[in-house]
Amino acid sequence: MTVVDISQLRREAIWSRLWDRLIPYVFISPFYLGFMAFMLIPIAFSLFLSLAQWDGMRSIELVGLQNFIDLFQDKRFWNDLRVTMIITVICTIVGPAGSLFLAVLLDKIGERLAGWLRAIFFLPSVTSAVVITYIWKQLYSAEYGYINAFLQRFGLPAQEWLKDPNLVLPSIIIMLIWTGLGWDALIFSAGLKSIPQELYDAAKIDGAGDWAEFWHVTLPLLRPCLLFVLVTSVIFLLGIFAQIQLMTGGGPLHASETLSLYLYTSGFQYHKFGYASAIAVILTVMMFGGSWLNFRFVRLEV
Amino acid sequence: MGRRQRILKTGMVLFLCLFAIFYLFPYVWMMAMSFKPDGEIYSVSIFPRQPTLEQYKRLFFGYQFGPQYNLQYKYGAYYKNTIIVTLISLVLVLFFDALAAYTFAKFNFRGKTVLFWTMIGTMMLPIYATLIPAFWLFSKLHLVNTYQALILPAVVDAYGIFLLKQYMETIPDELLDAAKVDGAGAFRRFWQIILPLSRPALGTLAIFRFLMVWNDYLWPLVMLRQEDMYTLTIGIAQMQMRQGMVVWGVQMAASVLATVPVIILVMVMQRQFISGLMAGAFKA
Repeated sequence: MTVVDISQLRREAIWSRLWDRLIPYVFISPFYLGFMAFMLIPIAFSLFLSLAQWDGMRSIELVGLQNFIDLFQDKRFWNDLRVTMIITVICTIVGPAGSLFLAVLLDKIGERLAGWLRAIFFLPSVTSAVVITYIWKQLYSAEYGYINAFLQRFGLPAQEWLKDPNLVLPSIIIMLIWTGLGWDALIFSAGLKSIPQELYDAAKIDGAGDWAEFWHVTLPLLRPCLLFVLVTSVIFLLGIFAQIQLMTGGGPLHASETLSLYLYTSGFQYHKFGYASAIAVILTVMMFGGSWLNFRFVRLEV
Repeated sequence: MGRRQRILKTGMVLFLCLFAIFYLFPYVWMMAMSFKPDGEIYSVSIFPRQPTLEQYKRLFFGYQFGPQYNLQYKYGAYYKNTIIVTLISLVLVLFFDALAAYTFAKFNFRGKTVLFWTMIGTMMLPIYATLIPAFWLFSKLHLVNTYQALILPAVVDAYGIFLLKQYMETIPDELLDAAKVDGAGAFRRFWQIILPLSRPALGTLAIFRFLMVWNDYLWPLVMLRQEDMYTLTIGIAQMQMRQGMVVWGVQMAASVLATVPVIILVMVMQRQFISGLMAGAFKA
């Protein structure tokens, strides 16, 4: 009787030990199943496709680095790379600078009003890019847009904001900066709040003016925030899609076409999946490169 | 406070308020256009002379112009689809993220480090890194034009696991040990202790994911072909050119209805959202 009990107890103990070992894997398995299916395998397949030619129907033909060689000889690729870089560089410089300025001002006025203003500046961050783009497209419209009507009221000439190759990028950039301003300002605001008041007091005693105070106290202590803002903007801007596609479709004559748009067109209109995957690989590498540059820049400069 | 400083402060307040009004203008314009009758759509005054709900009605009852043209929008369907996709994916992603985060925060197991870093490594990858194979996969599985196609990828979210894990690590182990002594299994401890205590982090993540899925454009664009399956973003985008004419009024009405509830929701949960956002910003 006792012997049976003990062996049963032992068996139960073994089972429960085994179950304890297994349970973590059971808990993470739903995530990792999805992760395999929708992330890891597609990423691996993307890398593989970038070395192949495929239209999605016939068999996949391995071509080595041919897609990349073709890309580097493709004028449209270089044009799109240039457009992507112009948008990214200008927006990551002007945007965070503007939002930092805004955050510093907001930090100096009454908290109640500042809270309301922050909420207003934050609106575009919760609004769909589709909606934002159409409002701005309407504002920019040459014949009946508000901006041209405004200019004409002051006797200035109307502009073809979205059809003039020289104006299309500035127009898009203004919209993008407007969109991101509040989000970045909010993060800077959080950073400013975490700076202890004593440091400012100490700077005052040392006779630092407003500017010196900003340069020697505020900015160095905002470093983590600055890094976060720069990295997220670079990744966001390099991949910008909806805004361009809906605003101009990349026109006029590819003047506003970004790499992401070219990727979409190659893949989903021309069914050149290999070529599109090669662009995806380049875009991904650019995002990592951009993040890395920011890490270096922020560490060295500030 | 000195006189000079008072003037400076008033100047800043003035500047910020003016800037905020200027900043808000695109929203004012969207609202204004949605209440204008057709005859005033191209006028530049902000306040409609004859405000009307006509543009909103057209979203649901169609747009009759001339004897032979009758545009119908399935706006109700766009709305329904968006709500279904957003809510289902939200519940699933919160549950699976929390479960995985709990496991990474409170268990030791073989392969933990490798599994965790594989996940983190892909966190920064853009959608483009998976877009084409994922499109192909979903077409092969005959999931084009289905809710599953939008929900399934939205449930895989490494960032959420990272965020929740950071938070759950601050929950004291003693609480869990006490429950264990009382005979609570691993899942009971998760459900009854971890989940309720993680509510602030879950709230933040919920708003994040809500915005992300509600406003998503590229993936639904690739996946949806039939109008009755469109989400709001796709529906609004497709309104732009219908039978060669731009329908700004209807489109702006559609935009207002798609945007304002989200804005209200975020404003209501603002405190929670912003504190979570800030916490996330520093840890990331």
